[in-house]
Amino acid sequence: MNKKSRFPIVYLILITLINYLPIFIVVAFSFNSSKLPTSWEGFSFKWYAKLFENERLIQSLGNSILLGVSSTLLSAAIGTIGAVGLAKTHFRTNKVVSYLAALPLMIPEIILGMVFLAFFSLLSIPLGFVTLLLAHTAFCVPYILMMVSSRLVGMDPNLEEAALDLGASRKRAFWDITMPLVSPAIVSGSILAFAMSFDDVVISVFLSSPHFNTLPIRVYTQLKTGVTPEINALCTLMLVATIMVLGIYYLARRKKEKQ
Amino acid sequence: MKKTLYAVLAAVLIAALCLTVSCSKEKKQELVIYTWEAMFPDEVLEDFTKETGIDVVYSTFDTNETMLEKLSKADGGTYDLVIGDDYIIDAAIKRGLAQKLDKSKISDFGNINPLFQSHYYDPNNEYTVPYGAGIPVIVYDPEKVDWKITGYNDLWDPRLKDSVSITANYRVINGITLLSMGKSLNENDVDVIKQAGEKLLALAPNIRLIQDDDAHLALLNGEASVAFLYTSQVTTVLQSNPNLKVVFPSEGLGIGIMDFFIPSKAPNSEAAHKFLEYFLRPEVSAKCFDYLGYYCTTKAADSLVNPDLVVPEFFDGEIIQNVSLEADEQYNKNWIEFKSACD
Amino acid sequence: MIRKKRNPYSLALIPLYVMTVFLIIGPLLYMLLLSFATNLGSGAFSWKLTLENYRKIGDPVYLDTFWKSIKLAFLSTVLITLIGYPFGYWMSRLSKKGKQIMLLLIMIPFGVNSLIRLYGIIILLQSKGILNGVLIGLHLIKEPLKMLYSYPAVLVGMVYALLPFMVLSIYSSAEKVDWTLVEAARDLGATKTRAFATIVLPLTAPGVFSGVVLSFVPTMGLFFIADILGGNKIVLVGSLIQDQMTRGGNWPFSAAIAVILTIITSVLLLSYSHISRLVGQSGEGSGLI
Repeated sequence: MNKKSRFPIVYLILITLINYLPIFIVVAFSFNSSKLPTSWEGFSFKWYAKLFENERLIQSLGNSILLGVSSTLLSAAIGTIGAVGLAKTHFRTNKVVSYLAALPLMIPEIILGMVFLAFFSLLSIPLGFVTLLLAHTAFCVPYILMMVSSRLVGMDPNLEEAALDLGASRKRAFWDITMPLVSPAIVSGSILAFAMSFDDVVISVFLSSPHFNTLPIRVYTQLKTGVTPEINALCTLMLVATIMVLGIYYLARRKKEKQ
Repeated sequence: MKKTLYAVLAAVLIAALCLTVSCSKEKKQELVIYTWEAMFPDEVLEDFTKETGIDVVYSTFDTNETMLEKLSKADGGTYDLVIGDDYIIDAAIKRGLAQKLDKSKISDFGNINPLFQSHYYDPNNEYTVPYGAGIPVIVYDPEKVDWKITGYNDLWDPRLKDSVSITANYRVINGITLLSMGKSLNENDVDVIKQAGEKLLALAPNIRLIQDDDAHLALLNGEASVAFLYTSQVTTVLQSNPNLKVVFPSEGLGIGIMDFFIPSKAPNSEAAHKFLEYFLRPEVSAKCFDYLGYYCTTKAADSLVNPDLVVPEFFDGEIIQNVSLEADEQYNKNWIEFKSACD
Repeated sequence: MIRKKRNPYSLALIPLYVMTVFLIIGPLLYMLLLSFATNLGSGAFSWKLTLENYRKIGDPVYLDTFWKSIKLAFLSTVLITLIGYPFGYWMSRLSKKGKQIMLLLIMIPFGVNSLIRLYGIIILLQSKGILNGVLIGLHLIKEPLKMLYSYPAVLVGMVYALLPFMVLSIYSSAEKVDWTLVEAARDLGATKTRAFATIVLPLTAPGVFSGVVLSFVPTMGLFFIADILGGNKIVLVGSLIQDQMTRGGNWPFSAAIAVILTIITSVLLLSYSHISRLVGQSGEGSGLI
């Protein structure tokens, strides 16, 4: 970090704080005794109590995490290997494929959802986890592909060649040279992919089955009656859980690194 | 470092699986209900399971159209009981996606308020059981509006500049404009619809926001002083601020009805009939409508339900029906021009 | 690189190619075909092919919507880049620990549903809301400001929702910059600006590119931000498609709008990548497009 100027760090903190303002409000209003988010009417735990009674909501949270993690892993694998492949081969079709792979970003979700539904029922794949996983993977891959590809640009291609010349196997060269270089991009891409999958409703609502619903589906389909503060409570708990999981990971990592 | 990552990922996945699995119990008889989220109080569904031993699987959609598409791709199967809006039920019946009810299994069919039966989508009451009705009305805050609003035409009053909140359904808003001109909600004449479009543009300066889900909150958080709202929203705002004034517009009303229907190839139509029979008991209906906040459509429950939800005596209004494609296109254009003019 | 007889990396392409063929080309063709179908209303259509849907888009009402969306997408992308670039850049210069903490801080909010976060913004900005309360408390204003349901409110929402995409793109490409090179350039007498322009900027250009793609493209379709924060008064292509697909029940027309939207977005991105290549910072754009 620059020793002289304090400005960068102030900027980072300021933007982060602004980013967190709405989150703080969500947390605060999960303790609001009023059903409506328009005013503060006193402190209460009642939405948490209601939340724990709501099996459907909790089950759908489990489904969402399961779906988010598996589609992120799958798309990280396809995206990373694909990006490396694209960078190291020179097929004419590469440009076309890399353009096509980005299309799910450009096509409005509702169209994608409807088209996926038509497509899967044409292939008679029953709706449920599998169809959701395939669709989520399709729209998550572009994030990984993009991040990893832009990371690979300007990277020294000779590094890996050198490792090969020194007698490393191609597998070893990939894991020891390429992977560490692209890992920040994989992490960034995976964060975005997970966020997109975990948040998606428009596509998921077309592909879910009665036995497999995700959390956003439960939240966004409360249209006739309005979203309840139970959701705020759920978000707060998820926030706490996320912080705990990430915190544990971080601490474990630091401990390992010290060793 | 990699091992830690794997361990944490595995832990998260296992936790997620636990959440997923903990709630899915032994396979029993099932009733798959397909509708919006939060349409029933939990108690009503739990009591049904206790009484019959049939598990309720509650599945949700965001829009009527998603439901129709999924139902038609499932060829009328997968789901046992669906609740949707009137116009989509019309489409579902026309496409052969609904089955005729076996009224011998629904002894309390006569408990239904006949006002909500025999409408265009099911003239002989063969397919549907109504589940709540809505009449969009005008609600205003007398602290901010010191004159009396009586009808749709008052929404155009220049004193309401930038302070009206309306719902976001293009047919409803076009419809009230037509009503304010003394025309029908279901006008098919493109020229008349064009005139309505011009009148609608004049409303633009008064519009603060157009929204389906939260148009009512604007009345409470100070963003708007007048709102045109669906029935459940009216119920909600009145609970928070009983001083708000509700106006049944003098020019005429539009009504909307939600109905149950059983899909043509419902895997368990037996259970669906049982549920309808159960729902039509006055005490069960009353619990549902109190929770839902829409007008009570089960006549026999009128004496048990929140009196605000009993249908007003003067009740009479038009239901929005599907119109010709040309008319519909003009409605759409009016709507987009109107929304753009509000900016 | 000299092409070998058989490049082992060809195998690495298989999953991507398979996915593209099955999950993207198939659905894409369906969408294209649908855009030529004949509307029958209420979500029904027949496969009698027609150009009618495209003719309808020529109507000024719809063209205007496209124009407005592009303007909004452009404006918000510029804002996102201006705010996001320094963020990602400075983030990449933090210590290892600092980077990890920042990544966590960016990731945590994603646990909260985006709709719920937007409700948080509403509570913040509404007329009896927190921001107005603070401003009145500080005697900066007397009457509450009407901040919601306006163009700026939509812009704020877009920037808020999409900033992380830019930040992470910039970060992951700035992270590979070799700072010893920059130091060396400075030692050799290059000004700070010059060192930045010749060394850092070319290396981060692909990051800017992918950041722009990831923030420009969704802006065209993120209808719910315009609905919730803009009170539906700013009509975007995304909301037009949503309206037509749902209550409008006109699927072929929505498909046609989506096809045009995809073409416009692709052309804009292609020309952008072309221009950035002409400006010649990196020689080769990022992997996509």
